[in-house]
Amino acid sequence: MARLMLRRFQSDFKTMIEALFSQTNYIAAKKGMDASGLKQKAIASNLANVETPGYRRVDTAPSFNAAFTRALREGNKQQLANLQPHVTVDQTAVSKNKDGNTVDVEQEVVALNQNALAHKLQAQLISGTLSKLRLAITGRPQ
Amino acid sequence: MNITLPGSESIAAAMNAERIRMEVASQNIANARVTKTDNGEAYRRQQVVFEAVLQDSQNAIQSVQVARIEEDKSPFKRVFDPEHPDASADGYVEYPNVDVNREMVDLMMASRAYEANVAAMKFSRSMANESLSIGKS
Repeated sequence: MARLMLRRFQSDFKTMIEALFSQTNYIAAKKGMDASGLKQKAIASNLANVETPGYRRVDTAPSFNAAFTRALREGNKQQLANLQPHVTVDQTAVSKNKDGNTVDVEQEVVALNQNALAHKLQAQLISGTLSKLRLAITGRPQ
Repeated sequence: MNITLPGSESIAAAMNAERIRMEVASQNIANARVTKTDNGEAYRRQQVVFEAVLQDSQNAIQSVQVARIEEDKSPFKRVFDPEHPDASADGYVEYPNVDVNREMVDLMMASRAYEANVAAMKFSRSMANESLSIGKS
């Protein structure tokens, strides 16, 4: 009897944890953190090459951003989990001077701020999910 | 491979490159009136050439490095000053092809670029801190 109860409890617990970690928001936040880490690298690359002649600015691929938004809107977890963020040369940026460099420092600094905020939001979403799990285990908030 | 500080390789490389640029600009200013160097000529202005270095083959992320430091081939400034010890037979002295104002602007731009990279580094660090505090209530 006791063994049966234990088994039942274990399976309930497993379902609960899986439910927590398979929420669309949680998966999206994890993927978003991957993307914002990579975007930080892209911005650092752009700022490093502010004065390199002929350098073209890089950014996370527009195809990734579009696929991410679409999967999030549809709530398609499988698609979200399979997305792979990557960085490509920004084809839309135009050069403002003769050396063909397409980096605009002001724009990069704005992107730096936006990206840090997005990263913070995603980290808080993940922390929130984990603190819910802690609440379920301990029965106490915090 | 640096996991915790995103972009730190590019940032460090850029800070190093900008510092070299500042050093070269300072060297140009310091030698702006040198009429005779080891090769007998006046000092020639040096200029730094940057190039991008691909860092991550899957992504387009690039770092930067100083490709070479080149001599500026533009002509020397000729000033008529027959009393000068380095004056030629016709009384002209060749002064370096350094424009101090231009070097100052270059110095300022290098310093601004350096600051932009410091800002990027601060953001990378705050992001790393944020990631490390996940799960801490």
